[in-house]
Amino acid sequence: MERTRRGFAAVVAVGLALLLGGPGPADAQSTLEVVKKRGKLIAGVKTDFPPFGTIDASGRNVGFDVDVAHRFAQALFNDANQVELVAVTSGNRIPFLQSGKIDIIIATVTITDERRQVVEFSEPYFLSGSLLLVPRASTARGLEDMAGKTVAVVQGAIQDKDVAELMPRADRIKFGKVSEAVLAVKGGRADAYVHDDIVILSLAKENPDLKAVGKPFVPRPYGIAVRKGDTAFITWVNAELARMRRDGTYDRLWKTYFADVEANLVKP
Amino acid sequence: MTAGPTAYSFAWSAVWRGLPYLLQGAAFTVFVSALAMVVAVALGLVLAALTEVRGGVARPLVRAYVEVFRNTPLLIQIFIVYFGLPQLGWRLSPFLSGLSALVIYAAAYNAEIFRAGLEAVPRGQHEAARSIGLSELGAQRFVIVPQAIRIAFPALGNNLVSLVKNSSLVSTIGMVELMFVANDIAFNNFRTFEIYGAAALLYVLLVLALTRALHLAERRMARAR
Repeated sequence: MERTRRGFAAVVAVGLALLLGGPGPADAQSTLEVVKKRGKLIAGVKTDFPPFGTIDASGRNVGFDVDVAHRFAQALFNDANQVELVAVTSGNRIPFLQSGKIDIIIATVTITDERRQVVEFSEPYFLSGSLLLVPRASTARGLEDMAGKTVAVVQGAIQDKDVAELMPRADRIKFGKVSEAVLAVKGGRADAYVHDDIVILSLAKENPDLKAVGKPFVPRPYGIAVRKGDTAFITWVNAELARMRRDGTYDRLWKTYFADVEANLVKP
Repeated sequence: MTAGPTAYSFAWSAVWRGLPYLLQGAAFTVFVSALAMVVAVALGLVLAALTEVRGGVARPLVRAYVEVFRNTPLLIQIFIVYFGLPQLGWRLSPFLSGLSALVIYAAAYNAEIFRAGLEAVPRGQHEAARSIGLSELGAQRFVIVPQAIRIAFPALGNNLVSLVKNSSLVSTIGMVELMFVANDIAFNNFRTFEIYGAAALLYVLLVLALTRALHLAERRMARAR
């Protein structure tokens, strides 16, 4: 008994030391300076989110966000390859940024007030509503048909809250990755998977056994995110985004990645 | 390694606000782990007993089972049961998927642990039991198995501790246990250190309670000797 009690006290002491003795507040150097000194940008991108971030057959990162990351590297170092791409999910991308594992999130982050509290957002670069991905045979026509049904969402994605609010009678089941939510629909684990319109449309195109339904609901803008308070870096990001619009890069990327589903998207 | 300065100020109120949900997750962790433990121990015993039967197909089948499930990651087993089997037309509920994956994985280890226990009982014990007039079944029931369990107990305890921690993997298939709840809270309030720290502390408490119970059981067995 005595030994256990002492062991317990030790555990609590170590726990407290870990919890309270963490790093102090950060110094004020902008990540922009750190990146320039390092000579390489470390960007968090998605790997399961067509057409913004996926892995192609040869194992390379491809997608709209990936091209933006390369463009940033080009602007910073005059070499589009000076960028390290780190795979992130909807759930872990902001923790990755906060913990310094990445410099910047270019990974379909929907701008919300809650997230504004913890990161610095760029100007919007895309506008996305939400759609449903259902089996081809499904008769569901939108979120309104999901009462009493099982709806898959990705943990940390905005649709977790949206579905809870708009269709509280749906049974939400949450997964860590887009690919797992798709599998859940294919395996009959969920009646529908709700996510950003653009990814649902792309997934429906890639998977003939599934289809996209619904009218895009609650459209919201995507932003690029850097650490909270880093105004120097976000100012640079905004300037570069503006340049991309002026020099036609943005239009070119839009045509490359969205042309075939353009009709179903909310235009920014 | 790090990409730049890290701004982080602690907000312990996040833990406080998330505590009811975290405790709900911990309760589910206890439930699914306890259930998996009972079934995995029983299954392990049966499998170990089957390997003692010479001849026939039972022994190679059990060996194959143990090698397959002990030598593959639990996460793959969980995904096969949850995502893979439905494509073959066999759909277990999410709860049964997670539970059965935990059970088949832990039972493979338990079978090995009990088999080692059985083999560690000196051969003379069996001969002595038979020579005082016990039947084969009686010798096993009263002499061999009790000693085997006592020998296997420390290794079994370690495996059960692993089981509690491994149960966090069923968070990947949407089961609302402690790890899932920690993700759910941290992904929305972004207080990762506080929330995962609190979850880790809860796991420590759960495992301490388990090791304490195992310790008491071991002492009782020692007294019964």
